[in-house]
Amino acid sequence: MRPEPSPPAQAGATSLPPVSAAFPSAVVERGTPRLLVPIAHALALANRAMVGLGMVALLLASLVLTSSVLARYFLKASTDWQDETAVFLLVGATFLASAFVQSIRGHVGIEALSSVLSKNVNAARRIGVDALSLAFCALFAWKSWTLMREAATDHMTTNSTWGPPLWIPYFLMSLGMTLLALQLLVQLVAGINRWRGPVEAR
Amino acid sequence: MSMLAIGSLFAVVTIALMLSGAPIAFALGAVAVIFMAFFMPGSSLDTITQNVYEEMASITLLSIPLFILKGAAIGRTRAGQDLYAAMHAWLHRVPGGLGIANVMACALFAAMAGSSPATCSAIGSAGIPEMRKRGYSPGFAAGIIAAGGTLGILLPPSITMILYAVASEQSLGRLFLAGIGPGVLLVLLFAGYAVLRYRTEHRHATAAFAGAGTESALLSKERFSMRQKVEMLPRVVPFVVLLLGVMVALYGGFATPSETAGLGALLALVLIAVVYGVWRVKDLTPILAATIKESTMLMFIIGMSLLFSYVMSYLHISQSLAQWIVALALSKWLLLAAILALVVVLGFFLPPVSIILMTAPIILPPLKAAGFDLIWFGILMTIVMEAGLIHPPVGLNLFVIKNIAPDISLGQIIRGVIPFVGLMFLAVVLICLMPKIATGLPDAVMGQVTAR
Repeated sequence: MRPEPSPPAQAGATSLPPVSAAFPSAVVERGTPRLLVPIAHALALANRAMVGLGMVALLLASLVLTSSVLARYFLKASTDWQDETAVFLLVGATFLASAFVQSIRGHVGIEALSSVLSKNVNAARRIGVDALSLAFCALFAWKSWTLMREAATDHMTTNSTWGPPLWIPYFLMSLGMTLLALQLLVQLVAGINRWRGPVEAR
Repeated sequence: MSMLAIGSLFAVVTIALMLSGAPIAFALGAVAVIFMAFFMPGSSLDTITQNVYEEMASITLLSIPLFILKGAAIGRTRAGQDLYAAMHAWLHRVPGGLGIANVMACALFAAMAGSSPATCSAIGSAGIPEMRKRGYSPGFAAGIIAAGGTLGILLPPSITMILYAVASEQSLGRLFLAGIGPGVLLVLLFAGYAVLRYRTEHRHATAAFAGAGTESALLSKERFSMRQKVEMLPRVVPFVVLLLGVMVALYGGFATPSETAGLGALLALVLIAVVYGVWRVKDLTPILAATIKESTMLMFIIGMSLLFSYVMSYLHISQSLAQWIVALALSKWLLLAAILALVVVLGFFLPPVSIILMTAPIILPPLKAAGFDLIWFGILMTIVMEAGLIHPPVGLNLFVIKNIAPDISLGQIIRGVIPFVGLMFLAVVLICLMPKIATGLPDAVMGQVTAR
């Protein structure tokens, strides 16, 4: 089955939700244990900030690439830094916003089974899925930080003549994946908590 | 462990994790990590992040968020409705002109926005009610829009094609150009069918009126004065200029494809500011948020698909499969038919992005060995995947239509869409018989390339 075509999972530009829907307020999932609520709120706040940064990065990347065309044409200037700057900006936007996208369950999956399974089995399936995603993202976050440390201590740069330091995008990747792992952890715990509660609430 | 055993295990684990409902990106990443841990040297796990970063940090791939931004900017204004209204005013005299107007509006909008569902919702929200008001049957109206929307991944700039160009190491500029001929062919086929179907419906309505006196909206006439027609133009012209401007920048050699993405996004934002007064932070926030949401989701799938393909090729699974296909020694066209059938089946389950990145290393070498032009094949594959967007059981566009016209039943939509799926396969056959439909334009503009 294709990614579930319900509004939150769908290509963003298709439906036209009201402005407020751009930042859904219900980012703290039902069943989040009281102990974790402050963390969930802090994450929601961080996610908002990251999306804001991502928006700025998108606009900057467009500007940088446009300036590259203009500089080459009018000033006959060489354009060695623009592409890499745009890459850093867009990679950063992608990783930093990943936790926000997860908080609204915007990473699409194949939901074919959910319609045939019973409510109970589905709740268990969702917990399993979150646990798997968490395991993967946590590993990825950890390996990103080690990569960043290496890049920083060895003064690694990109291969271009401009050669900006690689720890910058690696740092953005590490931070983004860490937020994503935390987001998944909170969602997983909320799922387990719902599981322990009354059956109807699953 | 034997190649066959590893390969089968890999397939089973992949299918299991995908069907579990885990986000596609994390499922693919998890498969990669699991097989790295068990079948690859211990140090390989340390390099996954570097792997993903190096694959993703290509400005060609990262132009995708900017193309999405351009589409979102245009998709969230009334541009779609305006474009549609103008087409209607200019084409209303032609029998079935309303249907043609819808197909043309879809094609133009798709070329600007580059997204199939976005096109369906932008043109359909104005076009479907209008067509039904004029007596078109609901299924027919829905079919036109669903099919018209799929033109979005065939006409440049298409995200699917960016990925295909990266996966097959073909020129993106050439691939974009190759999509135009087939895109026009599909527009003609769709429009031709719309006229035929309109005439049938019109005949039935005339007969019903003559027989029982039941009046149908299909029989009413409508007039637009020249003045009205001309007044429609200013709102459409800027977008056509944007479309052409971007093409000129790209093919006139002023900008690389990724620079075109940045330029296009910026121009689109400027245009909606000037034409629709969309420039305040509160207007732009939803556009940017929608872009971030969609592009982050897509880029994660892309990054993790690349990690997945890397593991598949490190373990020699893709090479062995490709060799196995070559060793079958199928006739050239049987091989092509089998591969396209595989794409259709995968289209039931996966978005085009994942289909391309997961299958390219397996299916492209045999096709190349059989002497097929990979640019030409990219176009065929794109059309087949487009058909996947509208064919039952699960086509994304069908649900978009269901969303904007809730009172048309899914059954009616599906019946309305099936003829268009047939037309798409007809186009595939035509392009096989006359490859020049696709390759003619890039050869003419960019010169012929013989050894590929």
